[in-house]
Formats: sequence, structure tokens, C-alpha cells
Amino acid sequence: MATNPTQYAHPEALVETDWLEKHLEDDGIRIVESNEDVLLYDTGHIPGAVHIDWRADLQDPVIRDYITPEKFAALCGMNGITPDTTCIFYGDKANWWACYALWAFRLFGHEKVKILNGGRDKWKAEGRPITKEKPSYPKTSYTAPKKRFDKEIRAFADEALAQSKSKKPLIDVRSPGEFKGEITHMPEYPQEGVLRGGHIPGAKSMPWKTATKEDNTFKSAPDLAKIYFEQCGVKPDVDTVVYCRIGERSSHTWFVLTYLLGLDNVRNYDGSWTEWGNKVGAPIEKGA
Amino acid sequence: MSKDCGKLDELGNRSDPPYPKKLDKIIHLFETLPEDERRETIVSYAENAKKQEPRPGEKFDLEDVRKDEECMDTVGVYLHVDENGKAQIRMTLGPEVQTLTRAMTAILCKGLEGCTPQEILDLPSDFVTRIVGAELVRIRSQTIYYVLTRIKGICKVYLDRQRMAVA
Repeated sequence: MATNPTQYAHPEALVETDWLEKHLEDDGIRIVESNEDVLLYDTGHIPGAVHIDWRADLQDPVIRDYITPEKFAALCGMNGITPDTTCIFYGDKANWWACYALWAFRLFGHEKVKILNGGRDKWKAEGRPITKEKPSYPKTSYTAPKKRFDKEIRAFADEALAQSKSKKPLIDVRSPGEFKGEITHMPEYPQEGVLRGGHIPGAKSMPWKTATKEDNTFKSAPDLAKIYFEQCGVKPDVDTVVYCRIGERSSHTWFVLTYLLGLDNVRNYDGSWTEWGNKVGAPIEKGA
Repeated sequence: MSKDCGKLDELGNRSDPPYPKKLDKIIHLFETLPEDERRETIVSYAENAKKQEPRPGEKFDLEDVRKDEECMDTVGVYLHVDENGKAQIRMTLGPEVQTLTRAMTAILCKGLEGCTPQEILDLPSDFVTRIVGAELVRIRSQTIYYVLTRIKGICKVYLDRQRMAVA
């Protein structure tokens, strides 16, 4: 794997708005909208798109964890998705939740996944079609995955700690203020504070937004390589852990590292700062 | 006290009706709706939020336009109090404001029509979940309370100024 790529490692993992508009009715694809704004889909969405709610559909309703493989299979079946369906994810907030949903699909072993470059905002800004009509697809039979791929793409607190102690790449994608410990919440979300501010010792600060352009599309492969290989010290042969507050912004960075730069050993610590910053005895560094 | 709004008794308990009449009607409407229709109605209110913007020629006693940390975009609140002491609220919302927040804007502007600034200030916020439903009040959707806070804020400033003018 080159650390000075001229193109994305998996360009097929991205679709452009222009392409999608011409392929809305293709067989074998399912367009999936995932947003932070819980009612945004209801106000209008890409024709044919289904809605998968990061909270209500993908997370266990009681325990802080994801749904079971059986529930995932049922969710896919309900949305007419089979293991062979290519799911194209898009959403608000520069695709935070689209990347999160994509990552969750990968947790269940669904391999055929793509992101709409630029997300919902770009689609709307370009005046492309939007509808309120909710599609209905024939129910499919999706065999429940035998396991969740937590070990492969998800990190837990003890693994993040091990990453920190072994001084392997650990990327904090939150805002600089959160990283430094100046604020205990994300800008714009003061109601979501934690008990302690700062970052996991040894983590490098690289806000998720660094990977995107003004229109929310991803930067070029050479630009991304500079950011993550040169500035963050990420190496293809060393595993990397990314984190934020609840795992959505770090899903965005996970997508960049995994699909655009081609690293196959990146894990998302989705417990992130809401776990670490509240955890008794967890080591914390403050400042830049 | 206006007949459209509930009032507080000597112990600070609110007597019936607990909310302004118009707001009470909206609350009851939402409580009778099945979940799907509740969501549709919220979206419909959100789409009507633009109708709450100031209209040409309207004059206001107070204007408060700002981008707060609690909200994704700029929100403007405009207050006019008529000769009978009744408040009229208008609002402007930036494009990034969430759907639920837009809906609450339309609901509150409509539901608080005919109230005095003091009655608005005394309004409890427990009705919000009765309108929105427990399922939608969750992490990343808590700005539903923001609009009420801003409306109460402008009413408080108005009342403080009135008191200072009298003193």
C-alpha cells in the first residue's frame, strides 16, 4: 500500500451525485439516508431512499451497544436489502451518520457499501430531485450474520488504552477545544457534556473536517495521505484507532482511512469520549 | 391574567387550564395522534415555521437575533406587546436549524398567541415531550427546548425593562 497515493485506494466506495441521479432505479442498489436531524428524511429525501435511524434502528434500545445480528437481518429484510445489495449511504452533517451507518453495516459483515460524496447537502444544493414519498420494497430474507465484526473494526476502552500505552496511532477527530480539554462538549452541543475534558494520552488531534472540502466532498488522495500519513503518523503496517465523542465523527475518519487510503487495520472506538471522559481512573492528557 | 392562559394559585400551582388555550389544543391534538401521524404533523409544523417570520411593516419592541452555542444556526426572536399587554412573537431561523426546532417554533408562535410576556415566562416546559413524544427526545435532538428558552428570554428582558422604567 502506497503512502503517497495518486488516487483513492477504493474509488468504488464513493459515488458522485451526478452518477446517482442517473442510477436511482438500478437493480441491486439501495439508497440509505442516515441523519442527525431525526426528522430530516421525512421532510424530503432522494427518490427511492430508505431511512435508517442510527439510534432507533442500529443501536440496542437499552444497553449502549449495537443491535444483534438477528435484528440487523430483520432491518435489512424490512428495507429490501439482501447480502448482495449495494447500499449507498448519505445524510446530513457532511455524512457523519451515513459513515456511521456504513460502519455499522460492516460490523455485521455487509461488504457492499458506498458513500454519496458530499452527502445530502450537496445533493440539495445542486437542485437534484427530492421526494416525500416513502418507498416500499418487497421484504427480503437476509440471513443473520454469524457474528459481529467488533474485533476487526471496533475498539473498546481497554483496546484504546492498549493503543495509547503502546504508542500506536490514535487519532482524536474532535474539535481542538475538546481535544485540549478547554470544553467538555462538542461545539454546538453544550447539553452533551462529560465529567472530564482532554484526550487519551498519546492521541494526535486531527479534526474530522480536515478530510473534507467546502462542499463536504472528500479531499484528494494525496491531500489525505499528507494529513494522515505525514501529520498523524499513521502507517499501513501498524493498526490505528480513531475516536470522537460517540463514534459518528470518527466513523467519517474511519471511512477515509479504510476506503480512501486503503488501510485494513483501522478500528473505531465508538465508546469514545463519552465513555473515556466519564470513566473512573482513565488516564487523560490535557492541552495541545 | 388573560383568559387564554392558565394562572398560578397562591402556592404556585397552576390551575386549569395548565397551558394557554391555543397551546393546550395543540398538545391534545398531538397526544391523540398515532406515532406516524405525529411525525407527519411535526414535519408539517416545521414547514410552516417560515410563516412566523416578521412581515413587512411590522414593528417590534424587542429584537434578539443571534447564533447560540445550543443551536446549529442563527435564530431571531422578535417581540411586540400590544396595548392590551398581549405578546406577539415572530421568529427567523437559519437553514441549519433542525426540523424539530423548526416545528417547535411554529407551535409556540401559534400556541402562545394572546398570552402576556409574564404568562409566557411562567409557562412550564413539560409540554414539550407531550407534543414531540418520548421517542424523538434523545441525544442530538435536545434543541427542542431551545426555542422556548429564547422566547422566554426576550419576554424576561421586556419585563425587566418595563419594571426599570416604572422604578
